[in-house]
Amino acid sequence: MATEETAVRSGKTELPLLWVAKPLATAARQFGRSLVRPSTIVYPFERLEDPKFRTEVHVASGKPIGVGAVWDNYRGVHALNLETCISCNLCAFSCPDICIEMVTVPGGDPKHPKKCPQIDYGKCSYCGFCSDACPEGCLTMTTRYELSVTKRSEMVYSPERLYGVYKEKLPMNPIRLERPKNEDSILLDAPLCIGCNACARDCPTNCITMLDIPKAAPKPGEKPAKRIWKEPVVNDSDCVRCGTCISVCPKECLFWGTHP
Amino acid sequence: MSTVTLYSVANGLIVAILTGLYSVLPHAYFGWLVNPDLILVLSVLVFGAILLAASMINTIMLIWYERKLLGRFMDRRGAMHVGYAGLLQNFADGIKLFRKNTYKPRDADGLGFYAAPTAYMVTSVMIFAILPASWGWTAGPLPLSLLLALVVFSFAPLFIFLSAWSQANKYSLIGGMRSAAQMIAYEVPILLAVVAVVIVSGTFDLTTIVTMQTNYWFGIPLFVALIVFVTGMLAEMERIPFDLPEAEAELVEGWNTEYGGMLFAFFMLSDYLRALIGSFLVVLLFLGGWTMPGWVPSSLTALPLAALFWFLLKTYIVFGVFVWVRASLPRVRTDQLLRIGWMRMVPLSLLAIVLAALLVLAKCLPVLGCLPGVGG
Amino acid sequence: MSEMWINMGPQHPMTHGLWNLRVRIDGELVLEVDPEMGYLHRGIEKISEDRHYNEVITLMDRTCYVAGMAWENLFILGAEQALHVEPPERAKWIRTLSEEFQRIGSHVMWYAAFVQDIGLMAPFLYGMRDRDLVLDLFQSYTGARMTYEYNRVGGVRNDLPPGFIDRARKVCDWLLDRFQEYDDLCLGSDIFRKRCDGLGVLKAADCVRAGITGPMLRSAGVKRDVRKDRPYNAYDQVEFDVAVADGADVTARYLVRMEELRQSVRIIRQCLDWLERNPGPAMAENLPRWMGAPYAPVGKEGYLLKRNYPKGVGLSAIEEPHGEALAYVVNEGGEHPYRVKLKSPIFTNLSAAKHYLVGYRVADIPPIMGSVDVCVGEVDR
Repeated sequence: MATEETAVRSGKTELPLLWVAKPLATAARQFGRSLVRPSTIVYPFERLEDPKFRTEVHVASGKPIGVGAVWDNYRGVHALNLETCISCNLCAFSCPDICIEMVTVPGGDPKHPKKCPQIDYGKCSYCGFCSDACPEGCLTMTTRYELSVTKRSEMVYSPERLYGVYKEKLPMNPIRLERPKNEDSILLDAPLCIGCNACARDCPTNCITMLDIPKAAPKPGEKPAKRIWKEPVVNDSDCVRCGTCISVCPKECLFWGTHP
Repeated sequence: MSTVTLYSVANGLIVAILTGLYSVLPHAYFGWLVNPDLILVLSVLVFGAILLAASMINTIMLIWYERKLLGRFMDRRGAMHVGYAGLLQNFADGIKLFRKNTYKPRDADGLGFYAAPTAYMVTSVMIFAILPASWGWTAGPLPLSLLLALVVFSFAPLFIFLSAWSQANKYSLIGGMRSAAQMIAYEVPILLAVVAVVIVSGTFDLTTIVTMQTNYWFGIPLFVALIVFVTGMLAEMERIPFDLPEAEAELVEGWNTEYGGMLFAFFMLSDYLRALIGSFLVVLLFLGGWTMPGWVPSSLTALPLAALFWFLLKTYIVFGVFVWVRASLPRVRTDQLLRIGWMRMVPLSLLAIVLAALLVLAKCLPVLGCLPGVGG
Repeated sequence: MSEMWINMGPQHPMTHGLWNLRVRIDGELVLEVDPEMGYLHRGIEKISEDRHYNEVITLMDRTCYVAGMAWENLFILGAEQALHVEPPERAKWIRTLSEEFQRIGSHVMWYAAFVQDIGLMAPFLYGMRDRDLVLDLFQSYTGARMTYEYNRVGGVRNDLPPGFIDRARKVCDWLLDRFQEYDDLCLGSDIFRKRCDGLGVLKAADCVRAGITGPMLRSAGVKRDVRKDRPYNAYDQVEFDVAVADGADVTARYLVRMEELRQSVRIIRQCLDWLERNPGPAMAENLPRWMGAPYAPVGKEGYLLKRNYPKGVGLSAIEEPHGEALAYVVNEGGEHPYRVKLKSPIFTNLSAAKHYLVGYRVADIPPIMGSVDVCVGEVDR
């Protein structure tokens, strides 16, 4: 490499010209440039995310106002599609600020109510982990950034309100993360299972089916099984790895692991 | 020469009101309404009120002007929303400051704390009665108006130091010390530069000085004096690059750190009043005051307020230069400031005096186009 | 006037944050200084122990609020070492690009704050204006302007969006012109030079003894740059010069930062070229199995996922815009780092304040402290 690796600069060689001629000239040049149109954006009237603004002002002014602004993937207020939400809890799981709470929304069956995220924007840090974690893509972040409210309680967005944001069809982040390819699966510690059906009942994707598992023939001396046992079988391709089954299992017989 | 003067406006107003009242009221009982003495007293009062209002409005407009101009220098827009192009923004700010609570720190000395801003303001406003803005737009013929204006102008360090000391705040104290040192240091070159003008003009009367510049501006032969005067005025007005008494980076807000609300507004307004006065003085002494150059058509010069308009235009242009300097230069340090003041500006002003004396002796001024008749 | 102590801070225009500089002065002369830090301590290192590795990123963005991307890079390098993950090549280049953009953002922000300290008003806004271009670019690929949350263990969250490279090139061209204007406004100004020349001198030997790093060290003529000496990410594959200056004063620090801005543009252009030529994945394939669910769902406390990662220790150093930053990440096998230690360069630079402040004047404190480039969020962590 022919280039020298050190750029030495010295204050002794770079000296001012004519006392203050250069700064005065530079300021005057800037004055002339901003006479036509300063670089500021008259915010409530002009908006950076407004495509019209970008074509008319940015291009016409010759200044790089908002040159990098791409608003599709801006992380603003969430939008929640209530219809596709499967109540998997993953958004609440992944939230580092614990600002997501799963609250009951009407529409579920009374025994197992449908729970959807309610977001407290007083706590939210807009990191976007929740929308990255959402397996169904129903919780996304929109480009809305104006959230001023007069009451602290108004900062809490209920699922219905998030659904309202969704229905406004704001631009949304087009980038969806792929699920990691080598995720763990739900494994069963079969001898502990009592076949209570809790996991299959609560599974948000209904990927757990209880199958009849014939018990092995009792060894001599043991009592035979009293009834046919049911054991959960997880369909890995449908599973979103939310862990609900593990948390509801009364005997702690489900766990994360790799299929042998 | 326009015949409209500030006093004639006030007088005419009073006469019109009083005679109008007198005409509709019973003459037997209200004869005192047209008493010449009463008219005189009222005219003077109205004259003062107009002067005060004009100077205040001008000052507030000056702040608007600086904000807009500085905004463009900084690639932004400045005040925009209150009034057309933000014209009323400063009035809104003033109302806000007026409504605020005036807070005095516990350890502050009450007399100095409250008296200093008032005195600072009053002395600043007082100069407007002395400076002529056009023919007759002054309190009256003052043979020593220039001297008086400069004397009143130089009261400021006293009050600044008084307020700084009475605030019981270390930042204010440092700021006050700096301010006093700075203003005293720059009084000298300013006065010396004025001496150059006085040598050429032979009078202390500002109206006469302006009259003598009808054909030629003193700023051109006395260029050195102009430079010294403008630099000194920058320091006296405490504007960048000489705003170190209120250098916000190290001294928070300098000598008015503890002031808030209306008292702060007093200081703020006085600062801009003094900036306006400084620009006035530059225009009066060096840039021909309200006299108009020959290329302005006579139909325009004959308009009643043309001279006043021309004077204000020049003033605002001079202030624009101050804003330009503010936008592009950093502030200097105390020792550097004093060194510039005593070791650069004073010799330069002495040089300006010598140059002025030489110009007068060599009778160059008539040659250069200036008016003759310099006494000596 | 007798000697007195003044408290410059914690709320003071000079501090640019929350810290206190106690100064004993005699008139205008500084006799003794005593920097007090800790007003902004948020316990980021301790909170990190309770976060999943990827979620620590949210804290790193807030460690230094003007150079969030650099701190993200720093931590993620340490975490990847600790977790035995190797990011793909493209992610490394994107990180290099991000860090250099962050350096520009941080240095331009520094410029704005610094010139305001010495009373230059207009360049402050020029700096803020030009930094906005960088923030716009950041927003276009990370989704946020200051708190990016972009890096992940094993890569970066998403690839650059289409059209980004052209926009970035445009910004680079524009910025180079602006840097020339910055120089005209500062170096070309006699008053600026009077204010800054020979101020806050800290010679190379003293810098080394005090542990000072970054532009302050390089301004003393010491050629020390982690990007060159111990290359990380893609710095071993890009060409750039280490900016040094002589003089060890405020002007020299200004010169170093201005040169670094230009070198950053140079690096960015190389990164853009490389990224244009080499598409590929931006995220590693074989990550340790993770799910990113550190908390029990509300109402089901007590339930905690336990992963078993291979144990490891990560120690990473990067050339952050303010100096050399260090992260030490201990992975004891759990979901969360067992210990995270961050070394902030500014903390060291600031602690040595008495070596470069005593003997100057009160009016010199803002330019000198400005030339240190204080970011208090990083000092106190």
